[in-house]
Amino acid sequence: MAELANILTVGLLLGGIYALVSVGLNLIFGVIRIVNFAQGEFVMLGMYGAFAANAALGLDPYLAGIVVVPALFLLGAAVYWLILRPLQGEPMMQIFATFGLLMVLENLVLAGSRGVSVSVNSLVSQMSVAIGPVQIGLSRLIVLAAACLVSLALGLFLTRTMPGRAIRAVAQDRKAARLMGINVDVAFTASFGIGAALAALAGCLLAPLYTMSPQIGMNFIMPAFAVVVLGGLGSVLGAFVGGIIVGLTEALAGFYLDPALKQAVLFMVFIVVLIVRPAGLFGHAGAEEMGLRDVT
Amino acid sequence: MLITRRTLAASAVALAAIRPARAAGVIKIGAVNPYSGAMAQYGDEVTRCFELACAWQNEKGGVLGRELQIVRGNATSAQEGIAAAEQLIGRDKVDILTGTYVTAISNAASENALNNGKLYWETNALARDLTDRGLPNFARTGPSSNEFAARSVEAAVQIVAAKLGKKAAELKVWIEHEDSAYGTSIMQEQVRLFKAAGVPHGVGSHSARAIDVTDSILRAKGYAPDLWISTAYVTDTNLLLRAARDQGFKPAGIMLLGVGDTAETLQALGAEFLEGVMLISYPRPDINETYGPGAANFLKLYKAKYNREPIAPQGMNAFVGMKILFEALAAAGTTEFEAVIAAAAKLDKPISAYETGYGVKFDAKMQNTRAFPVVAQWQSGEVRAVYPVSAAKAGVTVVNLPRA
Repeated sequence: MAELANILTVGLLLGGIYALVSVGLNLIFGVIRIVNFAQGEFVMLGMYGAFAANAALGLDPYLAGIVVVPALFLLGAAVYWLILRPLQGEPMMQIFATFGLLMVLENLVLAGSRGVSVSVNSLVSQMSVAIGPVQIGLSRLIVLAAACLVSLALGLFLTRTMPGRAIRAVAQDRKAARLMGINVDVAFTASFGIGAALAALAGCLLAPLYTMSPQIGMNFIMPAFAVVVLGGLGSVLGAFVGGIIVGLTEALAGFYLDPALKQAVLFMVFIVVLIVRPAGLFGHAGAEEMGLRDVT
Repeated sequence: MLITRRTLAASAVALAAIRPARAAGVIKIGAVNPYSGAMAQYGDEVTRCFELACAWQNEKGGVLGRELQIVRGNATSAQEGIAAAEQLIGRDKVDILTGTYVTAISNAASENALNNGKLYWETNALARDLTDRGLPNFARTGPSSNEFAARSVEAAVQIVAAKLGKKAAELKVWIEHEDSAYGTSIMQEQVRLFKAAGVPHGVGSHSARAIDVTDSILRAKGYAPDLWISTAYVTDTNLLLRAARDQGFKPAGIMLLGVGDTAETLQALGAEFLEGVMLISYPRPDINETYGPGAANFLKLYKAKYNREPIAPQGMNAFVGMKILFEALAAAGTTEFEAVIAAAAKLDKPISAYETGYGVKFDAKMQNTRAFPVVAQWQSGEVRAVYPVSAAKAGVTVVNLPRA
């Protein structure tokens, strides 16, 4: 029983990581309907940003978000405005453009770092708490708490604020939104910027957990796609629940079957969910066309 | 133009005059390594030490009266290894190829070298398969993955079991490995040797790209081993160690193969946690001068040329590999691969003939049978050789075993 409690906790904490990484990806897909292959690279930039803020300003990685998140928001907005906006109406080209961006960002960091892996530590990252037989790393607990808060805050932003409602309106019908006086380009740019900023926040909070390499973003992006599709395209709640499901599946399969099989088991679950509910657990049929739904 | 017998004779004389001049020219050695991308710092380090060895030999007049020169060929993948070999041979006209930080690159580049009739002198790539192919143009001076596996098993029995006061049959070992060919091949050799030694063991694997490896740590923790051995890459090694720390997994001994001995791991885990972690590693410049004569001088040469400490122990291994090549070339009297391989096969030097503590005696597949890794340990934030005992500097002994 203690063993099961331990592995369920591990899965829940891993789910928090996936949820945090996926929520920005899902926002971008839900609003702009772009599958952003470079989202993992935004996470990677967030991690390196935390490292740089620590090295240059002495900021703890958990506080580095103060600097890094706005910076990535601006970068995301610039990327949308300069690269993706000119490709509006060419969805396939937009996807290829994000793939190109992935390669550019990864190789720029590679050139800058010469491939040397780096780490940044926080006092918190070395602490763990024991609850009965269950051992929990404090840094993972922070990530799970952040995933809950970010999902909740994003949901409230989209449903309770005027800018959030504008984004949802644009996501549902951009022509009608434009007729209502909403600046669609600004809404898209802001959405992409927020998506990049959320990735940066994830990067800052994950930085003390990992040794950074320029390729680390790729490790996050595949499971993140699974999370987004599993939870439901465009659904914030779906991204959160999908993350938890993926985390639990991986942990249980890794412990009780074989770590080498956990990806196989995860994608089997993924396929089954797609067959039973093609729109994902919290998605609506046609969300891939319609974008972000009311279910947040 | 009318070609007469006289002009032909004059041409022949001129050609004859040119030949000795070419023979007295440069011996170009193409170094195939990754100089860009994720492995660039180690590829660079290996080649820097090739260059150091050439500079050192050139000071002594070169080889066969010719100066030695390293020409770099960048390869970050097997496919690029082929292209680099083609370019080095075709465009740069190198006489010999050498390398390699990555086995897959060595595998591809050495086959291409054979197609072009060139020697491929391997110093660093680890996989046993490289020499098992029996390529006639291929020789490896450094230890293979089998030697790393063997040293880890030897260390488990000779160091860990002895320190814990247990017999081999009472020692419990967990073998963790990343699940690609690299980690799997070393694990298989370890399993074979542990079985032969009668040591109980469990095996676990993980993906080097895994986001979380806590499940792997919990499996190992459930086995309650005395010794936890891991073969992985830098980032997943650090992730495993962090997960072990978070989960309160405290085996009496922790042993890492091939990685974990650089600043990347020290930065991630800190000196306190790493204290006493054992490392199966290439011999480092800090080894005892009697075991590795000239190691201190290597360090002096390196610091003088690059104005810093060596980045990784692969460098001195590459330096020694070049020295053995120079001896084979001198004995062969040519750079033709058949003659160099034949001459190298006759080299016979005892252990502790070189800076790394290696000797040289190639087997039928041209694997140097007198090249062995050492066991090192993190001690107060520094890596120090502790085994074989003769490799340890005076006063350096095994510490923190069992781990506090």
